[in-house]
Formats: sequence, C-alpha cells, structure tokens
Amino acid sequence: MSVVAANGLGFHVQELGDLGDAGARGTPLVMLHGLLLGSLASWYFTAAPVLARARRVRLFDLRGHGRSELAATGYDLRTMAGDLAALTADLPGPIDLAGHSWGGLVALRFALTHPERVRRLAIVEGPLPPSRGAELTAFSGAIGTTDPGAPADPALPGRLLEALPAAVRELVASGRRQAERLVRSIYTLTTQTSLLADLRAEPDFDTAELATLDRPVLCAYGDRSACLDGGRRLAAALPDARLTILPGGHYLHLEAKDALIAALDAHFAEPAHG
Amino acid sequence: MMSAAAPADRTAEILRTVEELLIEVVGDELTLTGPITLATSFNADLELESIEFVALAEKLQQHYAIDFVAWISGKQLDEIIQLTVGELVEYVATCQS
Repeated sequence: MSVVAANGLGFHVQELGDLGDAGARGTPLVMLHGLLLGSLASWYFTAAPVLARARRVRLFDLRGHGRSELAATGYDLRTMAGDLAALTADLPGPIDLAGHSWGGLVALRFALTHPERVRRLAIVEGPLPPSRGAELTAFSGAIGTTDPGAPADPALPGRLLEALPAAVRELVASGRRQAERLVRSIYTLTTQTSLLADLRAEPDFDTAELATLDRPVLCAYGDRSACLDGGRRLAAALPDARLTILPGGHYLHLEAKDALIAALDAHFAEPAHG
Repeated sequence: MMSAAAPADRTAEILRTVEELLIEVVGDELTLTGPITLATSFNADLELESIEFVALAEKLQQHYAIDFVAWISGKQLDEIIQLTVGELVEYVATCQS
C-alpha cells in the first residue's frame, strides 16, 4: 500500500493513469472524497478510471478515513487543505482539483489560499455554509440535532445507515460485514474525534474572498439535493464558475455517474494546441 | 467457462494468487463460507469493502502486468458490484496471453 507521511499522519495515496508518461499528459488531477461514508474508493470505482484515460489522477484517503491514519483532531477545512497541500507538493505546476461534499470545500479552501497552485476546480455537492455539512444529506435526522456536548449515542451509526438512500446503502454497506465495518468507522469518527465539532464550528466562506478566485470552477449539484442552494450561491459568488445541475441527490458520483464524468472530463480537458 | 486463451492450469494458478493476495489484504477477517471459486463474488460472497478491493487491485497490479483501472473504466457500477473472482482471473489471464 502506498502510504505517504504528511502533517504527522500516514495517508493512503493511489495514483491512476500512465505514470511513465506523466510529463506528457498535461495537468494532474487530484480528487477528494466526502466525510464519513467516503474513501478514495468513492472516486476509484466511479469517475477516476475514466478521467485517468486522459490524465494523471491522484486519490488519497482523507485523515481518519479509508486506510489513512485516524487523527483525533483537524477535520476543519484549513487543516485538511494543509493535508492536501502536503500531499500535492511534489506535483509540479498548477494542478486540477475535484472534490465531493466536504472534499469539495477542502479543495475550494486550498484554491483560495494557494490560487497559484490551482488551474481548474470542480466542487461536487459541497454544502454551504460548511457548518450545515453535519445536518445535510445522509445525516439528516441522524446526527443533525445531536448536542455536541452530549454523551455518545450508540444508536447513532445505525440511524445514519438507515438514513442513506437505498442505492448508496447497497454500495457502501450491502453485506453485514461491510455495514459493520462502516458503522464502526463512523462511530469512531463521530465519537472519538473532533470531526462533528469541527464541522459545526467551520466559519462560512466570505463572499468577498470567493470573488477573488479567478480560476474556472465547475459546481456540480443534484436537482434533488439539499445542497443545491449552496451550489447556486457559489456559482454566483465565484467570478468564473458554472453551475451544472444533474439528476440526483447528494451522491452524484453514484446517482448520476456518467453525466458527472462527462461534466468533469469536459471541465478538465486541456485546451487544444495548434 | 473460461476462454480458450486461458488453459486450466493457468486459471488455477491465477486463482491461487488472487486468494493469497486477498488474505494478505483482509487477513483472517475474510468471509469464507467455502473455498474461493471462480463463481465467488467479491461483494456478496466475500463482503469485501470497496477500499479493500482497491488494496487487492494494487497488489494484483504489482504481481501481474495488468491495468486494473483501465479494465474497470469500461464497466458500469452494477457490473463492478457483481464482479466475480472468475471475471478477474479471466482478465488477468487475457493480459498474460
């Protein structure tokens, strides 16, 4: 397994595409997954293989997720954008970034802080304000009303699984073993780390700061998603953004896979030369 | 069941390797209700997590000259979910021939 040390943690990283010819294959694309249910497998089995036909793609498990090391703290956007900076420092020149949900906001935070490091950006279903990330989508009704100071609720992970759309549940927790392991991971992250507190404490993006990002941004949102309003706000506030609304809810990489791939592929296509 | 390009002894060798690499990835947590056969599915039978499947693919790519990611890039989600050991073995055998 490819483990890369960054910010005191071991991160699981996967490279897709023909690395032998990387120099001739244009801008590398780094893709970030969403919290709790996500891992780099979210992209590995959906959009990344198709996108890797035309470019080098790097995936990594966010801290505490997949096969990356568990961190007690640091699930806020600035710390996670610092993880992204460390895990892409070896890539020369500006890079392309795509992120789902919280991963999209991490990519946006990184682009605002290091605009010179980013060529193009795609935000898929990033919740706004970020603090709503804990209440929205799969977590609605499961953890949204939990008092951050209250003792751990052992029934919470099970409720979270039940709150998932059936298609998503089938993919991430179809068998008993997968469901048990997912519940264990979510339970650890929500009760033994600062993840939920970090989400709730995350400050909103400043509209004036968003207006400074002169990079092309694709905002891809689902027509049935509770995050869609956030997409509209981003598309209005960012100077060079386009809102693409696809049929589906929050998990567009599963629910509208082919349409999302087409939108991402077009957005990241290199401009034709000569 | 296998194509003519994959003789039986070759198929058996790849199947053994897949089984060994699976145990390396999952350890004794591997869900086994019987021997792993070509009909065994990674999701329904072995109950493999998607991130474990990534680790298995990485080991396979190190062991054989295959491009797993290019192979699954042509597959729909339900085909990936229903993937069997036999389909993977046949793909590896095809790359060897």
